[in-house]
Amino acid sequence: MPLMESLAQLGRIGLGIFERLGRGHLLLAHILAGLGPLAVRPRLLIIQIHSVGVLSLLIITVSGLFVGMVLALQGHYTLSQFGAEDSLGIMVAAALVRELGPVVTALLFAGRAGSALTAEIGLMKATEQLSGLEMMAVDPVKRVLTPRFLAGLISMPLLAAIFSMVGVLGGHFVGIGLLGVDEGAYWSQMQAKIDLHEDIYNGVIKSLVFGFVCTWIALFQGYDATPTSEGVSRATTRTVVHSALAVLGLDFVLTALMFGD
Amino acid sequence: MRRFNGRRFFACTPSKPVDDCKTGTETIRAMPHSANSNEPLVKIRGLRFFRGDRPIFDGVDIDIPRGSITAIMGPSGTGKTTLLKLIGGQLRPQAGTIHVDGQDVHRLALRDLYKLRMRMGMLFQSGALLTDINVYENVAYPLREHTRLPQSMIRKLVLMKLEAVGLRGARDLMPAELSGGMARRVALARAIALDPMMIMYDEPFTGQDPISMGVLAQLIRRLNSASSLTSMVVSHDVHETAEIADITYVIANGEVVASGPSKEVLNSDCPWVRQFMRGEADGPVPLHFPTKRSLEEDILGEAHRKTGTCR
Amino acid sequence: MVQTRTMEILVGAFMAAGFVALFFLAMQVSNLSAISEGDGYHVTARFDNIGGLKVRSPVAMAGVRIGRVTAITFDDTTYEAVVTMLIDSNRNTIPEDTFAKIYTSGLLGEQYIGLDPGGSEEFLKEGSHISLTQSALVLEEIIGQFLFSKAEEGGDE
Repeated sequence: MPLMESLAQLGRIGLGIFERLGRGHLLLAHILAGLGPLAVRPRLLIIQIHSVGVLSLLIITVSGLFVGMVLALQGHYTLSQFGAEDSLGIMVAAALVRELGPVVTALLFAGRAGSALTAEIGLMKATEQLSGLEMMAVDPVKRVLTPRFLAGLISMPLLAAIFSMVGVLGGHFVGIGLLGVDEGAYWSQMQAKIDLHEDIYNGVIKSLVFGFVCTWIALFQGYDATPTSEGVSRATTRTVVHSALAVLGLDFVLTALMFGD
Repeated sequence: MRRFNGRRFFACTPSKPVDDCKTGTETIRAMPHSANSNEPLVKIRGLRFFRGDRPIFDGVDIDIPRGSITAIMGPSGTGKTTLLKLIGGQLRPQAGTIHVDGQDVHRLALRDLYKLRMRMGMLFQSGALLTDINVYENVAYPLREHTRLPQSMIRKLVLMKLEAVGLRGARDLMPAELSGGMARRVALARAIALDPMMIMYDEPFTGQDPISMGVLAQLIRRLNSASSLTSMVVSHDVHETAEIADITYVIANGEVVASGPSKEVLNSDCPWVRQFMRGEADGPVPLHFPTKRSLEEDILGEAHRKTGTCR
Repeated sequence: MVQTRTMEILVGAFMAAGFVALFFLAMQVSNLSAISEGDGYHVTARFDNIGGLKVRSPVAMAGVRIGRVTAITFDDTTYEAVVTMLIDSNRNTIPEDTFAKIYTSGLLGEQYIGLDPGGSEEFLKEGSHISLTQSALVLEEIIGQFLFSKAEEGGDE
């Protein structure tokens, strides 16, 4: 009965997905429950912002600079065909603030900080550190996962803002310094068109959502990893893949909600 | 060395591997350690635990008397670590009860379970030290988490505990810089930081050289008598464990197959226990993992079939 | 404890850099400085066609920005667009018979309301209505008219 077998297989896969989904949400609830007690221990948070945010700063800054510079080059080429080089500022800024800032930052974050989080938690599990905490009457989720979660949530919008800022400055450097666009036009057109609510707030909301999802995925994959070196390495890969898919999918949904009125 | 008032006995209960061992089935009664009770500190009754369909424990009764060192032995894969996790409330059994100091571990609210855990120390096989903080901070961790002691007090306590395991000089090292035996000793210092009523040792001797094995064995014994602890040692290192343990349980195939004072278990006549204790390769526990087909069938299967069809 | 101190400083610097970046985006990149939700008074005007005018489009006088559009509604009875604008409160000497017209900045630029002052002694105030208006120039209409007249010329010959 190959049909019945494949149906049963399908059912098992489906149940497995629901099971993981359920575990993920239960873990999230557990993590969020730890937010209150965390307020008493800000040091834990500072340590994690360091490892999640500060250590991602270099890759974010460098990437932002290059993305801004490429945008200016490409944008200038296209815009000059319509004689609209003056709009370069809008193009660079809108692309960065609305899309590339939050999305590319989230993708880089998943690769840099997310995978590190998964590996760290997975190894802590494999070396019984989480079990050890539990036996010391310390809740490992609240003590280990919650600070990391909050750090990711705080770091992501800041990293995205830094990415966009550096990108706008990189575009400025290429556009004005190399391509000879008028500096006044670059800024004034940008300021006339980029809207604080529509563009910048929405960008920040996007990166908050991405920070939430990426950190959650990373922590869940680490916490749910098979506690062996192979299991941890698989979990790390899953973190990057799932985060990237979640970010791109959510970006579409959020963009449709925010800009498609 | 250790005093027990209650009757000592030796039991090799009937079970799958040993059908011919039938002796007494009385319960161990240890000397009352604390004034308030005769009860064993840990009382396990009818414990059943399955991993998937595979039974790990199938009706296990164990008593850990107060103030004693009790060894739980058995071949690898018998779920000795699982037993410790069940006692610590990290796993939930399918049936049966575990009472620790009179409290049913799996009926406790989370808050009470945590309170109980503060009085239980556990030494993991790997040490389970937090790798991102140094030795001093590791030992200080439970104190910082559960007490509001001033820094100077914590410092004194930590140094005392480190001194007890002989590693006061290693306080600034990171866990990665420690040898396996040292890591276990640091973990031991951490486990006793809150002065627990019992410590569970998970395979403390595995992978240790003879010297650090000796150091650990001596430490376990010294701590037990000095701070009137109850200790539970899970191990398959028969001789080191039997030497320090007052009482030994042997678990196999999900059941207790032998229990009693260590010496008696060690010298048991019961063939299964003897095989395990003396490390004989073949005996009631077969060398070969059971299979349905014979070796000839497995190796010559194809050829057999061919010759069968070509007449 | 030098290590933790360094870390704390780094984290502080990171947070500061993040907020500076957000501030930069708000002030330098976006139109926050131009919005300046200050005090002002509301004035309405009716147009037959507002073209591409939007909420928050600028309101200018002699090319100087003096306010912005706050609401655009449709009047069911007269089939006209009702545009509400907020004029900065310090521009309180705009004559009542001022002429409101929808301009386009540049050929493809955004549209805005330009005010041409009249000569009245009365000034616009909260709730005033500008009655003299001219609708947006719709490019298609102009092109259509141009082609139509060209065709007529051609027919005459």
